[in-house]
Amino acid sequence: MTGEIGFGLNGARRNVSAGASQRLIDVLREELDATSAKKACGIGRCGACMVLMNGALTNACLLMMWQVEGVEIVTPEGLDAVAEAAFVRQGLTEENAFQCGYCAPGFTVTLTALLREMAKPDEADIRAALGGNLCRCTGYHSIIRGALRAVELRAAAVAALPEPA
Amino acid sequence: MEVLRPSTIEEALALSVGDDTYFAAGGTLIQLDWAQGLRPTRRLVRLDGIAGLGGIDIGPDGIRIGALTTLAALERHAFVAETLPLLLAAVKATAGPSIRNLGTIGGNIAGRRGCLIPALLVLDARLDVARTGVRQRVPLVDWLAAPREPDCIVEAVFVPASPAPVRWTYRKVGLRAALTPAVVDVAARLIASEGRITACRIAVGGGPVAPARLHEVEAWLAGERLDAVDWRQLHEALVEAIKGPEDGIRGIGYRRVAAANALVHGLGGRLPAWNPPAPRAAHVPRNSLPDEIRLGRAASGERWHVRPDGPAKIAGRLTYLTDVRDEDMLVGRILRAGIPHARIVHIDTSRAEALAGVVAVVTHRDIKGSNGFGIVVQDQPAMCFDKVRYVGDAVAAVAAVDAATAARAIDLIRVRYEPLPVVSGAEAALAPGAEAVHAAGNLQRELRFARGDIMAGFAGAAHVVEATYETPRQMHGFMETEGGHAFVDADGTLNVCAGGQHGRRDQMQLARILGMPEERIRVVSSPTGGAFGGKDELTVQPALALLALKTGRRVRLQLERFESVAAGTKSNPMRIRMRTGCDANGHIVAQQVDLLADAGAYASLSPGVMETALEHACGPYDVPNVLSHGRLAYTNNGTCGALRGFGCNQMSYALECQVERLAVACGLDPIEFRARNLRKAGTRGYLGQTVASTERLDEMLAAAAADPIWNRPRGLTPDGTEIIGVGMGMNYQGNGLGTLPPDPGGGTLRLAPDGMIEAALGLDEIGQGLHAAIRNTVAAELGCGHGDIRPVTGDTAAAPESGSTTASRGTYVVWRVAKEAAPCLADELTSAAARILDRSAQTLVVVPGGLAERGSNSGALLISFAELARALAPDGLPHAGVAFEFPKSDYFEGNARLIFAFGATLARVAVDRVTGQVRVLDISQHTAAGPVLDHAAYLGQIEGASVQGQGFTITENAVLQHGLYLTENLDTYIMPSIQDAPRSMAVFALEGLEADDRFGPRGIGELGIGAVTPAIANAVADAIGYWPEQAPIDPERILGALGGSP
Repeated sequence: MTGEIGFGLNGARRNVSAGASQRLIDVLREELDATSAKKACGIGRCGACMVLMNGALTNACLLMMWQVEGVEIVTPEGLDAVAEAAFVRQGLTEENAFQCGYCAPGFTVTLTALLREMAKPDEADIRAALGGNLCRCTGYHSIIRGALRAVELRAAAVAALPEPA
Repeated sequence: MEVLRPSTIEEALALSVGDDTYFAAGGTLIQLDWAQGLRPTRRLVRLDGIAGLGGIDIGPDGIRIGALTTLAALERHAFVAETLPLLLAAVKATAGPSIRNLGTIGGNIAGRRGCLIPALLVLDARLDVARTGVRQRVPLVDWLAAPREPDCIVEAVFVPASPAPVRWTYRKVGLRAALTPAVVDVAARLIASEGRITACRIAVGGGPVAPARLHEVEAWLAGERLDAVDWRQLHEALVEAIKGPEDGIRGIGYRRVAAANALVHGLGGRLPAWNPPAPRAAHVPRNSLPDEIRLGRAASGERWHVRPDGPAKIAGRLTYLTDVRDEDMLVGRILRAGIPHARIVHIDTSRAEALAGVVAVVTHRDIKGSNGFGIVVQDQPAMCFDKVRYVGDAVAAVAAVDAATAARAIDLIRVRYEPLPVVSGAEAALAPGAEAVHAAGNLQRELRFARGDIMAGFAGAAHVVEATYETPRQMHGFMETEGGHAFVDADGTLNVCAGGQHGRRDQMQLARILGMPEERIRVVSSPTGGAFGGKDELTVQPALALLALKTGRRVRLQLERFESVAAGTKSNPMRIRMRTGCDANGHIVAQQVDLLADAGAYASLSPGVMETALEHACGPYDVPNVLSHGRLAYTNNGTCGALRGFGCNQMSYALECQVERLAVACGLDPIEFRARNLRKAGTRGYLGQTVASTERLDEMLAAAAADPIWNRPRGLTPDGTEIIGVGMGMNYQGNGLGTLPPDPGGGTLRLAPDGMIEAALGLDEIGQGLHAAIRNTVAAELGCGHGDIRPVTGDTAAAPESGSTTASRGTYVVWRVAKEAAPCLADELTSAAARILDRSAQTLVVVPGGLAERGSNSGALLISFAELARALAPDGLPHAGVAFEFPKSDYFEGNARLIFAFGATLARVAVDRVTGQVRVLDISQHTAAGPVLDHAAYLGQIEGASVQGQGFTITENAVLQHGLYLTENLDTYIMPSIQDAPRSMAVFALEGLEADDRFGPRGIGELGIGAVTPAIANAVADAIGYWPEQAPIDPERILGALGGSP
């Protein structure tokens, strides 16, 4: 069953002709040439394809197009518009969190969702939040250090804000 | 598939077409079902349009949870957390955070294998279910007992209010710490009054274990006094009552015992009896090594650089070779054998070719050159013609206008096979009368080595330890599966762009297959999303090349994960029988090794892996009497080849366990035992070859001896559930391919027209930080800034031959290119600038950004690189190149290495008395590999290798049955998650080189994995007195070693 499916992608309205049971990750990568979300298992077990769906962390490979009609999807490239992502990206960059980088966009999306949810996540919170993201290169500790650095950077930025009058 | 969205339950039920209907809530389970081969139903009925299926209602009698309530909503629900901690524990153990955002409680139950079910069973949950014309509330236990009805929708879960349990437990026993399939889930609640159990509920389930209440055990327990429960008898009753299948990963025996342990322990009973192992000679930590540095952003200070590709990768803006898209690009797909061993009778592609949208189909008939590839032996067909030898063998490939059409076309190719007996193990392969995988027989390679007199050696031994160690079929697990794109240029050049580890060798292999001159083939082999040896051999390049040539169009292709698992190489499973003897003073006097390795269907680099393993038969120790024998057998078990460590880690596992066992036999501290046996620096290598100076075994042992890990608590944990031990392993890793294969190196430095200094090396950025290393090293040698340098790598058209990005060899190549070419380029730059500035070259010096006056205090630029480039003719830009052979030793009877890096790994582990599982608490790694080219890259390589080695030791194995993979994707092939990563990791580097050392920094890509397995195994032995002889460590055997019942 193929039909026109409309959804928001990084703030822009997209209409695609797609089968209802097609996965969002395939539509993004195969039809819309949006390749920042990666596909590494296709069954929700690695987190390389993480996106935000109406703000909630979701594996794009578990989303079939019937679930996408009318929702707002944010892919890794769309994080430019999300304030928390800047700290996440900066923290991960400073700590050289990634190596091959194929899992990096997915981790970035997950950590952005975490920072939106929690003011000051600690290492246990970070580990719990990243339970669905696999990385093969790093052994994860650089990612934990990067995430903690992101938390620190945001705390510093918040502290630097002028007191409300 | 037809998707419908009714707005009422009645409407939904009316839309059902029986078994061909799927009622979908979050839709997460269906994906796994499809991946595991379930045929998609004709009709999918969405439940999310139906009012009343959501929400949580709290009433005086209990809580009603709407079926569409997501697991994440349950997890965050304050009242649930407060009143139903057992349910909350089950929710948190289910899937991962992102899946819990989609998955619902109704879906978890309706699939009949969710991890919530045991929890809900012991909570006496009832289901509100709807059938046509009927709405009723039924106990979950009854609903599960009744046959599955296709036309039944779960509307809500009702959890009745009940007295607070005096004890409760929920535990999921999985395969790793997070996002794991269940091995078995258990749940129990005890209600007591005046110290007597008045009611109890016990349930099991999860994954392949059918969810069930254990009524008989419940009845037995009811009425017992809480303080007088006979836990041993309860344990026996539980083991008896729990039913479950074998699934090739964990046996029923393990499921029963682990579940019984978890229930008994969770309800406050005793764990199985445990007798601590006999005390061993204690190791007393000594002084630390003064010159070692710990690596990290803070500690590394100015030597910590942000890697140049970091920001783009993190933002998702780096275009991998599998991300390239353009308008008229075709999509390729490969037909795999799907069966492990068969003769091909006929291949019919006509129906695929006739399908609209298919542009080309290729088979062996399209191969104009030699239909065989392989780095060592060319025994693997690019496209099979006479027979298939493993499940992932390539038989045909198609190029079509889109992925869906390509997939349909693959289904239309008819291959008639005549099945052959499956050779499903190395032992069986070498048995008389075994079916031959290759015409020449199944013994791919046999190696023997002897030194001294083995009989006399054992005759003089006071202690002999003999054991057989088995190692897994580890998958590389690179996140980017094999893939890329290909096209033919206007000038007829074939461009093949796919992740690899040696572009020029890929080019040579493709030229052989295609019957084309190498000059007409360009290979782009990086950036790539991880390799670890798994992209060293050709993967998708032949299919891409054939499709691009036949269609004349751009074609892209990327393997799905299941296809990557089936087709890709793995590490060689090894069975290593080792007999080691030492004298009464703890000197090893004899070492006998018998190695049997599974090659899978084709040789690839497996002969080299076995040879390297055998080269490490005595590890870093001097042993006078040695006898080794290795056999490598062809089987139909997938196909094997290079993986980080290249055989060293397998042999180190066996050897370092033997060493510790002998130390125990001698009553010696394991450090002292090693000290008595370490090879002496400056002596000849294992094979009698010359070895480079800067040997650091003594230092690594001293560093290990001083490590603070020895001071951390060991033995039984305060809560009594785990036993902690500390262990170590030593290793060394050769750099370079060795004396026998060609091993070219080289590179070019040049001023580019835009003013960047290009450092062109035919190496690949596979994640290891090649570009950072190039920038640091060239900048340091040339005197320019890091940002002035543009690495140009992984492209045969743009970079010269540098050899392969394998065997820990890239570091040396980068260093030598910088060292030799940078002074030449500096001369060229200063001469060129001198001409333009009309002054003497001697007065100029290269500085960040350009050239300045030598000795000037201001350092002000006299001319920038960009200005210099603009002022020069494009064909007259300064450049300097070098080409060399990677340094080789002087032994040619076998493959010997010259340059080595050294390490010691310490692990502190906890052995779980309930599940038999091992988790790594702390890892500390000491390395000596000369100067550190890039701190972050070095740290990353060691940490990453450490956890990859942990996976090899604890969770990873690509399991085959009769030549078919049981572990088809990342749901069952268990790589460590972040929750499995050690609590602490520390990486140290000892940088110094001997004054006469000409070889500079050593490569560290493999060093970090080499001693992880023995360190963990020895730590397990330290904890429980039992040496695991099988990796991954089997928790069932650990439980056996711990003793059976309470």
